[in-house]
Amino acid sequence: MTSPANRGQRTRAHHVELAQRILDLVSEARMKKGSRLAEQWIATQCRVSRTPVRAALQLLAQQGVTEYRPGEGHRLAVDPRTAPGVDSRLPEPPEEILFGAVIRDRAARRLSKTLTVSALMRRYRAPRTTVQKVLQSLAEHQLVERAPGQRWVFRPNLDSADAVAESYRYRLLLEPAALEHPGFSVDGPRLASLRATLESLLGMPADRLDVHLFFESDHELHDTVARGCANRFIGDTLIHHQRLRRLSGSPVQPNLHRLREATREHLGIINQIEGGRMEVAADLMRIHLRLAGEQRPKMAHWGAPAAFRGIGDGR
Amino acid sequence: MSRAKLIALFPEASFGAALNCVGIAQALERQGARPVFICHEGFKGVFSDYGFQEYHLASGGSLTDAERDEFWQAFIARHLPHFRLSPKEQLSTYVAPTWDAIVDTANRAERPLQRILDSLRPDAVVLDNVVMFPAIRNSGLPWARVVSCAETEIPDPAVPPYLSGCPTDDEACHRDFAAAYAQAVASPHERFNRFLAAHGMSRYPPGQFLETSPWLNLLLSPDIVRRRRKYPLEPERFVFLNGCVREEAPSLLPGFPRNEDSPLVYVSFGSLGAMDVQLFRDLIAAFSDMPYRFLVNVGANRDAYETVPDNVYIDSWFVQPSVVSQCDLFIHHGGNNSFGEALYYGVPSLIMPYCWDGHDNACRVGETATGRALPRYGWPRAALQETIGGLIHDAALRRRLADNARAMQAFNGTAVAAKAILSLTDGSRS
Repeated sequence: MTSPANRGQRTRAHHVELAQRILDLVSEARMKKGSRLAEQWIATQCRVSRTPVRAALQLLAQQGVTEYRPGEGHRLAVDPRTAPGVDSRLPEPPEEILFGAVIRDRAARRLSKTLTVSALMRRYRAPRTTVQKVLQSLAEHQLVERAPGQRWVFRPNLDSADAVAESYRYRLLLEPAALEHPGFSVDGPRLASLRATLESLLGMPADRLDVHLFFESDHELHDTVARGCANRFIGDTLIHHQRLRRLSGSPVQPNLHRLREATREHLGIINQIEGGRMEVAADLMRIHLRLAGEQRPKMAHWGAPAAFRGIGDGR
Repeated sequence: MSRAKLIALFPEASFGAALNCVGIAQALERQGARPVFICHEGFKGVFSDYGFQEYHLASGGSLTDAERDEFWQAFIARHLPHFRLSPKEQLSTYVAPTWDAIVDTANRAERPLQRILDSLRPDAVVLDNVVMFPAIRNSGLPWARVVSCAETEIPDPAVPPYLSGCPTDDEACHRDFAAAYAQAVASPHERFNRFLAAHGMSRYPPGQFLETSPWLNLLLSPDIVRRRRKYPLEPERFVFLNGCVREEAPSLLPGFPRNEDSPLVYVSFGSLGAMDVQLFRDLIAAFSDMPYRFLVNVGANRDAYETVPDNVYIDSWFVQPSVVSQCDLFIHHGGNNSFGEALYYGVPSLIMPYCWDGHDNACRVGETATGRALPRYGWPRAALQETIGGLIHDAALRRRLADNARAMQAFNGTAVAAKAILSLTDGSRS
């Protein structure tokens, strides 16, 4: 279990770490200023998927280590042997920090349902313009809406057991449909690097299992399905929902067995997509979502003495 | 190739017993056996989530969600005031009604259990409960009893009575409680004896609802809190596990806007204990100005909390062993599972009991200097804060608990349990 902001911090920490690994990699490969940095090559070398590679390259570009040109991708802007280490202190844009903090604090019930600009300014010591931009952005993501009297109200988010259950039911309708819809676009390199990540997860011993990487790979798979869908309406709504999931964070960490089973299920779905058996992939996705949706939130309602539960059930 | 031994684990429908048994089942599997679970319908899914086959005891009636909610609201309203009472006062208000209900549960479970055992024919049965099910004894199968409550569950003249919370050396307290207990549970006990007789078993002596197994009894109690007994338990039949903790993946801890990197306190009173929302609001208010971080398990009532302080994180469920292993203090209700996990990871306990063997462990934690106890209600805020700070910064206590944790982890209680259970199936124990 983790809060969204904490996950955001960890994600950023992973990106910083990956950026440093990329610098080491290109240095070992004796690349020179101007060399092209292929995302897939880096993903394969670092045994991660392309999404974090993109983020790490973006970080390096912000620090002037790489240069990005549309249509060409990233090239080394400096000689890697003379490049300084990755500056992990590089500040994120204030709106992005505040955006994450507001969602995190609402999920953790640190913010009440109703918001005002002035209250947010006081809590986060942020200027009015920043707060207003963040509220606008939250509204665009349908996370808040205006209320009478200069107030804003949080819309239902994925931060309760009921909402998570609804999310699973929603995904159960749409994700298999995305796979079954004619014309699904298979992102082969992305799936291949995701496979490498999943296989590395299965090889990790229990006490060193990288739960963060599990959550990243989970997002990666479901995002790939959303983006591959040929029906723009299904695809768009799923992309939006995946983003909402990512921002809100999963309220529950599965147990060890379930983490491994889910990883195997992800691999099974990839196998079927790669083999072009989209209906089987859709069926496996249904099973995967059903099993995942049956996880812990319901357990919060258990645990009363067996005896009394027995009376309740037998009445 | 020989068939894997089939072991049927039957824990009571409480998380402590259920998750202890998951730990034992994980070890059984590692030792080549095929563990399966028999469970009440209310625990459907708990064991399959961990990859084990489940067989459910049909209760013969089921409620709609609305009826279940209504039942629970009534249950909470009826019993919350009782959790403020002393162990002796709880005998008539909580303990006796609970035994009555347990007898009802055993009655309802008997035939479904017979059917499951007849069809499964396991090589051995593991019973983690506080009550006997004649179907187990009448099956003729070897069976092990897991004592997952405090060690007081197995009586001895030198050990305080079960559920009493009496100090070890207070014999007057022992006598007084034992007499009150016998009187309070006389009626459910008589009903239980009639149930045993109806299934061909002899009557149990007053106050006893479960016998020790003639084959094997597994006691979770860690060595550091073991009792001195007048009549030592035979080591052939009674195996102490020195803790019994399941394997889980590492947990990601949430971030805190305040006190990041400060000592971490985990607070969990179990799902039933979390039902008193006002108590949790009071606790959270007391935590708010302390220089620590708090993870608070608020059970099913997460939505009842709206203004959580920046150094507190609430949730409905935590992967407890993983969280406990990362914290500096564990505040809990004295459930034997929680107490055992705290000791297994070298974490001091602050016990605030409200029922059952929590009272016994609350007394024991002080006697063994493995933490401290406070009443669940009526604590002055300053006393609570001082106790928390004192336990977190007691370096000598931490060193002692760390040494003990190393010994417990090296002992590997789940593996010891699995090996002993499998010995029931190969003729090496009879």
